[in-house]
Amino acid sequence: MDSSAIWIVIALPILGFLVQSLGGGLIVKAVGEAKSKSILGFLAVAPIALAFIIGAMITTKVGAGPATVVTGPSWIQIAGFSIPFEWIVDPLSMTMVLIITGIGSLIHLYATGYMAKEKDYARFFTYLNLFIAAMLILVLGNNLALLFMGWEGVGLCSYLLIGFWYKDTANARAANKAFIVNRIGDWGLVLGLFLIVCVVLDVVPKETRLLSYDVILPALKTALVAKPALATSIGLLLFVGAAGKSAQFPLYVWLPDAMAGPTPVSALIHAATMVTSGVVLLNRMHVVFECSPVASVVVACVGAFTALYGALIAFGQTDIKKILAYSTVSQLGFMFIGCGVGAYWTGMFHVTTHAFFKALLFLGAGAVIHAMAHDQDVRNYGGLSKYLKITFATMLVGFLAIAGFPFLSGFFSKESILGAALSGNQAVIDGVNYGAICGWVGLAVAFLTAAYMTRMMLLTFGGKTERWRTIEPNHDAHGDHHGLDKDHKPHEVGATMWVPLAVLAVLSAVGGLVLNGKFEEWLYPQGLAVLPKVAEHASNLQMYSMIVAFGGMAFGAAIYWRGLPASQGWDETKWSSIRLAQRDQFGFDSLTTDLSVTGGAELSKFLDSTVEHTVTSGRALASATSGAGGVMKFLQTGFVRWYAMVMLIGVVAFIGYFALAIHGGAN
Amino acid sequence: MNGVPLAGYLGLALFMFSTGVVGVLVRRNPIVIFMCIELMLNAVNLTFVAFARYRVQALPDDPVLAQSQTMAGQMMVVFVMAVAAAEVAVGLGIIMAIYRLRHNIDIDDMNILKG
Repeated sequence: MDSSAIWIVIALPILGFLVQSLGGGLIVKAVGEAKSKSILGFLAVAPIALAFIIGAMITTKVGAGPATVVTGPSWIQIAGFSIPFEWIVDPLSMTMVLIITGIGSLIHLYATGYMAKEKDYARFFTYLNLFIAAMLILVLGNNLALLFMGWEGVGLCSYLLIGFWYKDTANARAANKAFIVNRIGDWGLVLGLFLIVCVVLDVVPKETRLLSYDVILPALKTALVAKPALATSIGLLLFVGAAGKSAQFPLYVWLPDAMAGPTPVSALIHAATMVTSGVVLLNRMHVVFECSPVASVVVACVGAFTALYGALIAFGQTDIKKILAYSTVSQLGFMFIGCGVGAYWTGMFHVTTHAFFKALLFLGAGAVIHAMAHDQDVRNYGGLSKYLKITFATMLVGFLAIAGFPFLSGFFSKESILGAALSGNQAVIDGVNYGAICGWVGLAVAFLTAAYMTRMMLLTFGGKTERWRTIEPNHDAHGDHHGLDKDHKPHEVGATMWVPLAVLAVLSAVGGLVLNGKFEEWLYPQGLAVLPKVAEHASNLQMYSMIVAFGGMAFGAAIYWRGLPASQGWDETKWSSIRLAQRDQFGFDSLTTDLSVTGGAELSKFLDSTVEHTVTSGRALASATSGAGGVMKFLQTGFVRWYAMVMLIGVVAFIGYFALAIHGGAN
Repeated sequence: MNGVPLAGYLGLALFMFSTGVVGVLVRRNPIVIFMCIELMLNAVNLTFVAFARYRVQALPDDPVLAQSQTMAGQMMVVFVMAVAAAEVAVGLGIIMAIYRLRHNIDIDDMNILKG
């Protein structure tokens, strides 16, 4: 199919969004609440599935040649500067399109089952379709302005969906937090865009499309090769944007809280697609990073630290979605290592496989939560494999994939990242190969990943003890859902929910094997290489990867095979201090909250009590003005004849002065 | 100019103007002040016509230019008279209004805008 069909791919979710938002209420009124759900569900899934099919047909025609640009009408047009609506059809954008629409349609399908008992069905799918549209604009836009439009669009949808159950204050707070923290990232991104426009204008002064990729990427390469400092500035600003969206330290704080949204949202937005847009940005703009070793080192090191940090925190979490959220933070760190060391295509490879297995794990977790009366605490689970056979089997595949079990998808993508990091040439300053250090850290994180995922799986499905029967749970579920009771019998989910699980399980299992090596051929020729290509394979790495994967799983199994250890039970006062620190994110979240929220409040109170009350509103300014007025008012006697006298004196003085001046000049 | 020199006209105008100024400053009745203002305006008018006439005598060889200069001075007088008439109309109206409000038009009592 021709590339111009990309318009249809973008239009379909927008159409779905319009139908859901404008027609949703009418459909509910026309056929009643119960019947409307199947209609609305179909109307939500169909456009995304259709977009996937069209996207796949376009992708088959995308070759290794230069990217096709599909230009449309103008968006912003001013003298010397124009931004058209234009879409780029190249391997990078089409990879993302397939992930977004493919995983998206599966998750939409799952959501029709998961949200079946919710009231605001149409509102949910309105947001979800709008999200797909915004995400497609983000990855398909051929200029940074369209990328920014999509960037903000997905941010908005993320905000709306995190706060979907807005009646619960905690959800509304989590939504606000996500929105506000993302604004910090946007600050960096926008400044980066401005800087790019300035740089590009120097190279191609007559060009008006100053944000389009086909213009700026060659121009940036020309401009930045000799100026690493400028490349570092642009790179770091773009990285701030990427870190905000992709939840890198220290801007990760919003992502764990974002789990307040419905589980399909967590799977689609906060694991598979939106949070990877930072990686997409780094892939698009990799030429900037290739020109700047400093920015590359920052990307790789922040990625490595985030990976380690997220993995450590995951051990202290008891909420199944929080465990997966920190796992996502950690895996995003892996992707940033890949981009930082110069093998940006490995980042995209991990984006893809991660989309498979993390979406699978989240949807599986959603199935568990669904079966367990919306209780999310893994301490209340146990022995669920007996009840949830399909969920267990599919999640097992996802678990093995993320843990790096040989020849499943995570094994290949993680290994390519680590291999590139160990043999990388981009993140090197003064002969110190920071990329390699990041690679070894990554290997350690792979061990931790296998361990904490084993913990989650064993606590949920393993063991014979059905812990919700033995201990009265202190559930913290949503107010309008009933909690667990002793006689609760978990039930397997319906077909709309397990079919996506099964599809994703197949993808997680074989995705790596099929795609291994493909991304390198697929994405590398598209780029504008500055540095020589990075090798992906380090010696003995496969062996190390297997050792850490099996070691991590064995370590996890050794502790959790018999169920929940007493030292990690409901009574958190008995927890070890390390685990408590992990639970509290090593105090970082509360520190930032104290600094920003409480600190900001204290600062404004201080300004209110001192500056506001003394300087502006109260004493200083007002008394200065009235004091000056008090002096001047004695001139305002109110006697008209006095004014006339003053005027007369003034006129006489004025004329006298000029008369004397003329007289003097005449001499 | 019929034997009266220019200085005579200017002296009379100076006397009239000074009288007007002193009157404005010392009198408290606004109607008298108005009369004094009229006196000042007419002093100026007198200088205008005197100078106009004087210019004609100074330019005997160019009657056209002399004519236009005379006309200019005399036109100014007409303007000043028109403006003075308008000003008196407005001013007397204001004085009437003040009298109706306060039954008193002493200018020194009109000080409500005092700081």
